[in-house]
Amino acid sequence: MAAEVLRMIPTNVSVEPDDRQLVEQIRQGDDGAFEMLVRRKTSKVYGLCYRVIGNGEDAKDISQLVFLKLWENIEKYDPTYAFDTWLYRMVTNVAIDFMRNKQSRDNAVNSNLRLVKTSVDPEQTVTVARREVEAVFNTVSNVLSPKQKTIFVMSEMEDLRSSEIAKILGCRESTVRNHLFNARKLMQTQLKKRFPEYARLWEESR
Amino acid sequence: MMTCRQFRANLQPGTADAALLEHLRHCDACLDYAMGIDPDLFFRSIGGEELVPPGGVDAFVGDVMSQVRVRSAETSLAPRHAANVWRRLAIAATIVAGVTATSLVYRLERSAPAPQNVAQTLLSVQAAKPHPAALATKSFVETYSSHNATIVEMPNDGSDAKVVMIFDDTLPADL
Repeated sequence: MAAEVLRMIPTNVSVEPDDRQLVEQIRQGDDGAFEMLVRRKTSKVYGLCYRVIGNGEDAKDISQLVFLKLWENIEKYDPTYAFDTWLYRMVTNVAIDFMRNKQSRDNAVNSNLRLVKTSVDPEQTVTVARREVEAVFNTVSNVLSPKQKTIFVMSEMEDLRSSEIAKILGCRESTVRNHLFNARKLMQTQLKKRFPEYARLWEESR
Repeated sequence: MMTCRQFRANLQPGTADAALLEHLRHCDACLDYAMGIDPDLFFRSIGGEELVPPGGVDAFVGDVMSQVRVRSAETSLAPRHAANVWRRLAIAATIVAGVTATSLVYRLERSAPAPQNVAQTLLSVQAAKPHPAALATKSFVETYSSHNATIVEMPNDGSDAKVVMIFDDTLPADL
């Protein structure tokens, strides 16, 4: 009987530590714990960076910068808050800074450049493909401010609720909703201008 | 993952249902259908996917860890930097003290009566008119010869008197 009970108890259980436990281990100087945390969060951090920045190489550099900042500021993390909220705040701060600098550089270089897609017949029937949507998004989202774009991405692509986004950005929920509303409006206007074949889908469904 | 039939049966405008969104993000046919129900799903279709940085996760993590090691090494050198800062401060303080002391000494010297130099003396002698009474009490030296003396002859301004300045330590003070 006793042998049976012992057989039922798993002897080699490997439970991965949660984020807070990893942070505690990192604070005690465990580099392995930090590596585990980086591996766990790479996809999340890189995904958000990529969608906000729209360029793989830049997103990779920014993601690495985020992890370095994380390592440098790990003592400042307050475990009473969700780790992902703190991490996302760091990502958005770094990404928004990068976007602001990039926008000012691009404005200086391309101040006279206006790209309008004119070769497509607005009346033609289109089938939406997901890969195309990504390209369309990268084009039309350029009209958004870095903060608007970040909020839009977090809401529409990372599926975060307005309350979560407000916590991450340290602002009110109404501010987030306001930014989202304006972002959608701006994107639809741009879509009409540059991709009239897709804009028709909005008009048809209304 | 749900089927296309289930997706189309359950889709409502403004949905935030994770299962519906997951299907939307993997099925182009249903995306077309979803756009007819809620056009705001247009951009939602590109979210959700797990993205991998160029070069893969392993290379990415390796890069981050190597940068962390570099920063760690820098941090461990920090006390040495701190010592350098104190050393630099000590040097700066010494320089400041030296400059202050020099300027104080300079000010003190300037406030004390400065000895008149030779050129000024010569000019004042030249400019002064000879006072007959004072001149009468002083002896006149017609000739003078010494190895130690410096003799300066005043430029003649046309008068008969010739003024000569003699600088000699061996001469009596009241001459």
